[in-house]
Parts: sequence; C-alpha cells; structure tokens
Amino acid sequence: MKYILPVMFLLILAYALYKKVKPYDAFVSGAGQAIPFAVKLFPYLAAIFVLTELFEASGASDAVSRFLAPAFRLLGIPEELSKLVLIKPFSGNGALALLTEIYKTYGVDSYIARCASVIYGSSETVFYVAAVYFAGAKTKNLTAPILISLFASLCACVFACFICLVM
Amino acid sequence: MNVIFAVCFFICTALLLFIDPDGALASMLAGGEKALALTMKMTVIYAVWLGIFELAERSRLTEKFARALRPLNRVLFGDLPGKSNEYVSMNISANMLGMSGATTPMGIKSIQELEKHPDTSYQIAMFFVINATSIQILPTSVLALRTSLGSLSPSDIILPTILATALSSVVGILLVKIFLRKKKK
Repeated sequence: MKYILPVMFLLILAYALYKKVKPYDAFVSGAGQAIPFAVKLFPYLAAIFVLTELFEASGASDAVSRFLAPAFRLLGIPEELSKLVLIKPFSGNGALALLTEIYKTYGVDSYIARCASVIYGSSETVFYVAAVYFAGAKTKNLTAPILISLFASLCACVFACFICLVM
Repeated sequence: MNVIFAVCFFICTALLLFIDPDGALASMLAGGEKALALTMKMTVIYAVWLGIFELAERSRLTEKFARALRPLNRVLFGDLPGKSNEYVSMNISANMLGMSGATTPMGIKSIQELEKHPDTSYQIAMFFVINATSIQILPTSVLALRTSLGSLSPSDIILPTILATALSSVVGILLVKIFLRKKKK
C-alpha cells in the first residue's frame, strides 16, 4: 500500500515530461489555487466549529443524546453509543475522542467497542463535507442531499451494531 | 443551514447562560482556533494535490482516466458536462483508494465545474451524497487506536466497516436516484 503514492507521482511526472509539459510551471499554477480555496473555506469551517464547541460545552449534546437514546435502542443501537452516532456527522475529532473514551471504559474488544469502531469507520462527517465542498458555491439548497446522507449513515450504524453481533 | 445555525446557537448559548456564562465566548474562540488550524492544514494539502493534478491535467492524463471511468459515471450521474467528467472521476477514484487528501480539492473543483452548467442539481446532489457516504477501504486511524490500546485482534473490524460503509453508499445512491432523479425533458 505504501508504494502506491510515490509510484503514482513518478508516473504522473514521467508522463507529463513525455508530453512536453513544463512541470515547474504546471505545479506552481496548480498550487496557486490553494490559497483562494482556503480563504473561501475558512468562514464555513469557523461557523461549524463554533457551533460544535457550543453544542459540547453547553451540555446540549448530552441532553439530545439522552433524549434520542430510546429511539436508537429501538433500532438496535446500544445507548452507550448514541452520543457517538450523534456527534459523528458534525465533528471527526469529537467522534475520535469519544471513541477513545469508549475503548477505555468498555475494553477495546468488547461488543460496544467493536460497534463503535465500525460506526466511526463507516460514516462521514456529513456537515463538514457539506461545508467544505460547498464553500463559496452557488448551490444553497442542500436539505435533501444532507438528509439522504444522514439517513444513509444511520442505516450504516444500525447495520454495524447488527453485524458486530454475528461477526 | 440558517435555521439549524440559529436554533443550535440560540439553545446552546441560552444553556451556557445558566451553566457557565464565561464558557460562551471561550468555547466560540476555541472553535475558531480549531477552524483556523484545520484551514492551514487543508491549504497545504490543497497546494500539493492541486500542483500534482495540474501536471496530470496538462499532460491530458486526467482526460484518459475519465474516459476509462465513463461507464461507471454514466450509471451514477447520467450526463457529466464539460470538464466535470474529469474532476468527478479523479474524486471518485481518490475516494476509493482512500487518498483522503486528494478527494477534497477534486471535490471542490467538481462542484465549481458542475455549477457552470445548467440543470446539474441532480449531479451535484449525487456527487455530494457519494462523498458524504464515501467508501473507506482501510479505517487506518481506528486500527492504529485499537492496536495502541492493546486489542487482541484489531483488524476484526475491517470487514464489518467495509460492509457498513458500502451499505450506506448504496442506500444514499438509491435514495438520490429515487427522489432527485432529473425529470426527462
């Protein structure tokens, strides 16, 4: 696996030289687009992160996960994991911290911990992806795609808890 | 997003008023700091990948690549106008190979390109859902964490993770196809 990237870079450069592309000029002009991207990205990330921090600090995230725990229970998701399911769409780092905590509390090889691993690995930080991809974009109505993505991630969580019972 | 922002912001700040009034500004600043740190990190990743990508684009390598992926793209997206075909192809293959650094710059370029053409809201929605439910072949950070905490078989979770993430992608793709399919003219 670790050879893939360097080999790919070499092939791209070799092919570019073969096609008589000026490699230095091309790289510089590509890399130059990074700063404008970042400038557009920052305000959206700031909004998301400020909200996530407030959500955590105010204890609202605990309250919501307690409130949703019975519903999750019904879907087969243990209530110990409801906070993880809830935080994952917003914050990858927050979810990773929670995952570590779950490992330490319940033991790395317990059912809860294995479920948590699969949930963490199988879902994306949906709101973060939305913020990054649509930073500065004209498309504003993302409600349907976001709902679909959240629902699909929830399906993965339910499936994760089920498959960890059998595997 | 405006509604979500307003509701969350209002409730959280109101709660903090009672629990920890000093915490309100402190946690907002902490959030801003994290956002800046992440933006810096992303800038570096963008610079490297966009540089490499420009090389591949100028040598018309990406065009060849997009042609190879056309059958898959046709099933998922229908029509991909202009250069969006190339960007989307690069993004999807980077996703499948787990090159998380490369997916984002290609993703942003794909959306920008798609928006230049009329009637692409279906393609944009499909593209977003694929990325938001993306297939991760090796959950490397989970494996590393499990190993460091002394798991007896850290790799136990690989197959369930692949199955679960594949399921979420399939569900997402089907739902987009059902609800947001472009009306035939």
